[in-house]
Amino acid sequence: MKRMLALAVLVMLGAGLVAVGQDTIKLGAVLPLADITGAQGSKAMQLAVDEINAAGGILGRQLELIVIDDENKPEKGAAAIDLLATVHNVDVFIGGMSSGVHLGQIPTLKKYEKVTVWIGAASSLVEQAVVGLDWYFHVHPWDYLQGASYVEGWAAIAEEYPLIQIEKAFWAYEEGAFGTSSFQGSLVAHADWENIGESFKSALLGGGDYRSVLRHAQEEDPDIFIWVGYGADALPIMEQAREIGFTPALFVGSPPGWPADFGESPLANGVVAYGMWAPSIKDVSPVSQHFWDAYIAAFGEEPATYFAPLGYTNVYVVAEAITRAGTLDREPLIEALEATNYVSPLGETLTFSPSNLIEHQGFSKQKILQWQNGAQQVLWPFEYATALPMYPFTGR
Amino acid sequence: MRLLRTMRRGQWVLLAVTGGIVVLLMLWKPYALIEGIQRGGLYALIALPMALILGVVGIINLAHGEFMMLGAYAAYWFRVSAGVDPLVAMIPALGAFFLVGAVTYWLTIRRALKAPELNQLLLTFGMAMVGAEFANLMWTSQPRKPSLSYVYSSMALGQLRFGTYAFIYTAGAIVLLIVLLAFLRRTRLGRAALAVGQNPRGARLVGIDVNRTYLLIFGLSIALVGAIGAMFLTRHSVFPSAGSPFTMKSFCLIAMSGIGNLPGIVWGGFGLGVAEAIVLSFRGYGGWADVVFFAVLVAVIMARSYRRHAA
Repeated sequence: MKRMLALAVLVMLGAGLVAVGQDTIKLGAVLPLADITGAQGSKAMQLAVDEINAAGGILGRQLELIVIDDENKPEKGAAAIDLLATVHNVDVFIGGMSSGVHLGQIPTLKKYEKVTVWIGAASSLVEQAVVGLDWYFHVHPWDYLQGASYVEGWAAIAEEYPLIQIEKAFWAYEEGAFGTSSFQGSLVAHADWENIGESFKSALLGGGDYRSVLRHAQEEDPDIFIWVGYGADALPIMEQAREIGFTPALFVGSPPGWPADFGESPLANGVVAYGMWAPSIKDVSPVSQHFWDAYIAAFGEEPATYFAPLGYTNVYVVAEAITRAGTLDREPLIEALEATNYVSPLGETLTFSPSNLIEHQGFSKQKILQWQNGAQQVLWPFEYATALPMYPFTGR
Repeated sequence: MRLLRTMRRGQWVLLAVTGGIVVLLMLWKPYALIEGIQRGGLYALIALPMALILGVVGIINLAHGEFMMLGAYAAYWFRVSAGVDPLVAMIPALGAFFLVGAVTYWLTIRRALKAPELNQLLLTFGMAMVGAEFANLMWTSQPRKPSLSYVYSSMALGQLRFGTYAFIYTAGAIVLLIVLLAFLRRTRLGRAALAVGQNPRGARLVGIDVNRTYLLIFGLSIALVGAIGAMFLTRHSVFPSAGSPFTMKSFCLIAMSGIGNLPGIVWGGFGLGVAEAIVLSFRGYGGWADVVFFAVLVAVIMARSYRRHAA
C-alpha cells in the first residue's frame, strides 16, 4: 500500500513537472561558452528573455532560455541539438557562432525540422547545406555578402572622401582555411584592385612572427594593407609593423574577434576593422543605447563583441514572431518570422529576404569601422556613421 | 685564450663554417640573420628548462608549454590588477611557479617515476590538457596581450632597420645557459642533480637524496618556464593553447642537440631560427618554414647517428 502511495505521489509530481514545463515557451540555444562570442551572446539572450518576461511574457506564458555549450566542436554542437530537442523539448532553436560547428549540426536539425533562427555561421558552405529548408532563418550575412558590402563600402568612402583612393592592396592572410578562403573570396570581390597576397602562420597555430610578410608588404607600398587572421595576431602584428616602420595609408584588420586590450594600445588608433556592430552605434541608435545600458546594468561589463547585440536580437525576433503568430505551430510561426521587421541594436532593421540560395536571409551588410581613441567608430554605412575617417594611418 | 688553445681541429672547422655562414647572411639576408637569431633565442630559452627536467628527472614534460602559458597569464594578471610590467612580474612568477612545480611533482610526477614511459607521457599530456582547460575557464579563449611601448623599439644601421627588443630572448637564452651550466657544475645541488641524472641508484648509494633532488629540479624548471612565460607575454598574445606548439619545438630541439647537451640547445635554436627566417624571407614560401624546421631536425639527428656508427 505504501509503495502504491509512493508511486502515485511520484506520478503526480512528474505530471506537475510536465505541466510547469508546458507553461514556458522554450528557446534552445547552442553557443561556444568558453569564447567571448558565446559567453556574451548567451548573456544578451538571457537579458532579452528577462526583459520579455518582466513585461508579461508572450501569449500569457514565460520565456525560458536553455543554453548548451558546443565547445566549438561540431560533434558537441550536433549532440546539443539532440539534447535540446529530446530532453528539453524546446520550441525553437537559436544561437550559433562557428560555421564548422553548424555544418555538423545541420543533419541533426533536419531530423527535427523545428523552426531555427541562426545568428552565426557565415560560410556559404552552410548556405548550400540549408537550401530548401523553409523552417530555417539565417541572420548573419553570408561570406559573399560581406565581401560585396566591403566593395560597396570602400567605393562609397572613396566617393565621399576623394583623398582615400585604393588601387593596390596587400593581403596578409593566415595560412589556414579561414585566411585562405577569405583571401580567395576577396580576390573575386575586389577584382578592380591590384591584389597581392601572402600567407603567414597565425599565433593561434604557433606562429607570431609577421616581420617577413610585413617587409614584403612594405616593399609593395600598397594603398591598403589588410590582414586576415585571429585576435591573437592583432596587437603583435601592429607592434611588429611599427618595429619595421611599415605604415600603409590604410591598415585593416579582419579577425573574428578583437583581443580584450586592443583599443588600449596607441598603435590601434586609426586601424580599420570590419564588423556588424560597434559600441559607438549607441550614439546614433536608441535601441542600441537601451541594449548597452541594460547589458551593463545586468552583467557589470560592457558588451565587447557583436554577438552580444546579435544574441539579443535573436531572442526578440523569435519572441515577436511567436506573438504575431499567436501559436507555436510551425507554419504560422514561419509566416510570422517572414514578416519580421525588427529595429535591432546593431543599427539596421532586420527583415528576412532571399539570398543566393535560401529564402530566409536576414542581414546582408557588414560595417566598415575604425579604432579611434580606444573605441570602434562606424565609418560606413554612412547612415550609422559615428566618426569621420582618420586618414592616413600613422601607426602611433 | 686557454679555450682557443684547447679547441680541436674539428671545432675550428665548425667555428670557421659558422662564421662564414654568418658573414654570408649578413651580406645576403641580413634581416633573416637578425630575426632568425631572435626567433632561435626564444626557442632555446623555452627549451632549456624542459631539457633540465629531461636530463635529470628523465621525464618528457608534455605540459611544458602549458606551464609557460600559465606563467604568461600570471604576468597578465599582475599587469591588469597591479600595473606590474611583465618583465618585473618574472620575479614573483619564479617563486610562485617553483611552488606550482614542487606541488605538481609531489602530487603526480613522483608517483609515475617508476611507471612505464608511456604512463609518464600520458600523465604529462593530461596535465597539459588540464592546464589549457583551466586557462579556458579562467580567462576564456579571448587572446590577451598588454600594450607595451618598449617591445617595438628599433634601430637603423644605414638602410637596415630592425627591432631590438626581441634580442631579449637571445640574451635570455645565453644568460640562462651560463647560469644553468654554472649551477650544474659549481654548486653542490647542481652536481648532485648531474649525478642523479646520470645514475640515480649510484647517487642514492653515495647519500644523495634523489627524491628531493628531483623535486628541486622539477620545481626549478617550472619556475623558469613560468618566468619565461612572463617574458613571452611582452611580445606575444596569450590564450589557452598558446603554449602547446612550444612543447613540440622544445622537444625537437632537445632531440636534435641530444639529452644533457644544454649548449647544443642554444646553438640548435639559433640554427633552426635562422633556417626558418631564411625561408620566410622568400615571398610566398612562408608555409615551408615548418618543413625546413623539421628537415633540419631530421638531418641533424641522422648525421649524429651516422657519426656514432662511424665511430
